[in-house]
Amino acid sequence: MEEKILSEKESLELISKMISETKNKLERGGGNIFLLWGYLGVCVSLIVYGLLNFTENYAVQWLWFLIPVIGYPAMFFMKGKSHTGSVTFIGSVISKIWIVIGVCTILVSISILYDYTLLPILFIMSLLVTAGVTMSGLVLKFKPAAVAGFIGIVLSFVLLLVSWKSQILVFAAMSAIMLIIPGHILNSAFRKQQKNANNV
Amino acid sequence: MLTMFKELDPLLHSQLRLAVISLLMSLEEADFVFLREKTGATAGNLSVQLEKLSEAGYIEVAKSFLGKRPRTTCRITAQGQKAFEEYIEAIKGYIG
Repeated sequence: MEEKILSEKESLELISKMISETKNKLERGGGNIFLLWGYLGVCVSLIVYGLLNFTENYAVQWLWFLIPVIGYPAMFFMKGKSHTGSVTFIGSVISKIWIVIGVCTILVSISILYDYTLLPILFIMSLLVTAGVTMSGLVLKFKPAAVAGFIGIVLSFVLLLVSWKSQILVFAAMSAIMLIIPGHILNSAFRKQQKNANNV
Repeated sequence: MLTMFKELDPLLHSQLRLAVISLLMSLEEADFVFLREKTGATAGNLSVQLEKLSEAGYIEVAKSFLGKRPRTTCRITAQGQKAFEEYIEAIKGYIG
């Protein structure tokens, strides 16, 4: 493309072509962040549950911190690798939603260091994350995430009704429903989009 | 009847600069590599045109690093958005 002077019709065609280049298309590995947090949530929950039953030692609850300790560095690494060179308005909104949720979850985690009986930690964490998944799904107009998020919001309240050991299993199930399933659907939708693009 | 045509902004009425502004209108920000790929321009030409748009206050250019690689990021300013909207209005007069 050179510094060519355009006719009015050519100008409009060019504008239209450039705008279509920025349309929201699914990104490769877009579901991987969902999968990362989902599998991490399920694995850590099951490890904590298993060790609690096996050892009866409540200190194993410290293993919950494996989620942020592994999750955040892995997420930043994955985001750096999948950098596309542009930020859409929708992408920017979703990033900001997750920054706010991330800050809230970190503050809640810090509060339990002070007194672990202070807050119903799994309930609050679940509610924050499911609200984030739902908002992301709605903003992206990605139905599986929005639906899974809403199911997760309802399931979060189940955490208040069951015994604290059962809460761990409900939390594992929620991680699978609200993160792993939408993550796989998102990646499969991307593969479908690529296949269709190659056939055109 | 004599129709009055608004003058087209000479800064935008050029293929590459208009392409860049059109891309940035639909994005929060875009880096140099993305703009070069989407417009198909050479790096040298794109640099010159970005400089012109930046001097006019139509875009903001920020330099940073992504890992060890230098990265130039561009975003449209409020002045650039207004100029683009006026350009569209003016062009409508020519076509419609």
